[in-house]
Amino acid sequence: MNRRNFVTAFLGGVAIPFLLPLLGRLQNKSWIQRFLRPPGALPEKEFVDACIGCGQCANVCPNKCITLHGLEDGLENFATPRISARARGCILCMACTQVCPTGALKKLEPTKEGMRAVAMGKAVVTEDLCYSFAGRTCGVCYRACPLPGEAITLGLYEQPHVHEEFCVGCGLCEQACVHMPQAIRITPARELVANLEEPRASRP
Amino acid sequence: MRFFPRPTGRRLLVLSVVSRTLVLAMLVLFAMWTEYANLKLGYNHPRLVELAHGPAMRMFYEASDQWLSLFGEPEEVVRLNAGMTWSVRVMGVPFTDPVAALSLLVKDHQWPLGFALGLIVPLGLALVFGRLFCSYICPASLLFFAITRVRRMLSGYLYFPRIPSPRGMAWGVLVGGLAMAVLYGHGVWALILPYFATGQTLFHAVAFGTLSAAAVSLVVFGLVDLFLGDSYTCRTLCPTGRILGALGGRALISVRRDAAACKEGCNSCEIICHFEVSPRLDETRDCSLCGECLVVCPTQCLSIGRKV
Repeated sequence: MNRRNFVTAFLGGVAIPFLLPLLGRLQNKSWIQRFLRPPGALPEKEFVDACIGCGQCANVCPNKCITLHGLEDGLENFATPRISARARGCILCMACTQVCPTGALKKLEPTKEGMRAVAMGKAVVTEDLCYSFAGRTCGVCYRACPLPGEAITLGLYEQPHVHEEFCVGCGLCEQACVHMPQAIRITPARELVANLEEPRASRP
Repeated sequence: MRFFPRPTGRRLLVLSVVSRTLVLAMLVLFAMWTEYANLKLGYNHPRLVELAHGPAMRMFYEASDQWLSLFGEPEEVVRLNAGMTWSVRVMGVPFTDPVAALSLLVKDHQWPLGFALGLIVPLGLALVFGRLFCSYICPASLLFFAITRVRRMLSGYLYFPRIPSPRGMAWGVLVGGLAMAVLYGHGVWALILPYFATGQTLFHAVAFGTLSAAAVSLVVFGLVDLFLGDSYTCRTLCPTGRILGALGGRALISVRRDAAACKEGCNSCEIICHFEVSPRLDETRDCSLCGECLVVCPTQCLSIGRKV
């Protein structure tokens, strides 16, 4: 009888955390899920496995570009860090990579080599929106880029050309773009991988 | 020779409230000091801080400057003291939550070195003092302590049931939580563990000025405590408490009974105990050294000390 009580209580206890998805429903899922992970983040799946959601990276960020997920992107992202490039790009100071206790963010130094090791995403220019491609010289994104001449080079009328092999996806160009909506966007590394596995049929 | 005053029940209760308040203050201060370090990096001058963030921030900036300078280079001090209940560094010493460690082991199959070293102090404390964490460190239990007082105050007017905790439920919550952590992410613990929820709520409020979803579960825990029993969350639902209780089953320091002085037929210590410990029967598996039983014992036969 005592053992039966124990097992019943144990099973009841197991059931309690399974109520959490209901809590996750409290907030509507946002339909824009284009966010970046902090620099030095492991590939998305490994990152989610390793991040315990302590929030130290967001606290230590001097640029205040890292924020923590609430429930708006689902329970699976709860308490993990995010960067919205349009709101504020990452300045690649690498402070967050130094404090991560579990190694979800690899330790990087704020040097050129450290910068080149970052893979947060890739910038993509929408030429139809870009002022420079419409013949109005702009070049703001080039001037915001931490790796100018490598990640972005300029053409006629300061038209930006992104070189994917060098772009680290910090998002400073997206933050700086003077066009509304932005003509240059970061495709997060998490989505780049997802697209490789499962290409979307109707991708513009 | 005694270096400390004798641990009477009242002194222990006061000490437990003071130490938990200090932990709470520490959580807030650690988050704010890191913000201070960011201000230092960004502006490095009180006047500029005032221009950008207002006079209150300037006061905070100058106060932190002076206070942290006492201990060394301010940036260095902040770097060594940071984090919250889930993973924290105090004076450069890492502390890791045992549940975080389990969760990481189950999901990621590995422990980074610094993270594993952080387990030594919490587990060592549990082996020596049992559930000391639950009454002296856990910031959420301050809320439950207050709720216990409210229940006692209102018990003359309202009926509050005291439901005995079903044994094994906390182990179930641990297993269910691990399952959810594997299915979703380690973030779910912020909604399951009371102290993580407290830390998360405070941390979000201080560092970002937002209300975390963890506040919802904190409210739920408070209601559970209010209507089901004293510290019901701690003894029935909290997996960390259960782990510490199991580790501290043979704790060195615990509540001790002077059998000669103990009165036959009295069970006031059993009734008052939140953790369902019975000092009367010398059964002290979940004792958290809170001192409640020392206060109510009519013959003063209980004390805290080395178990015999």
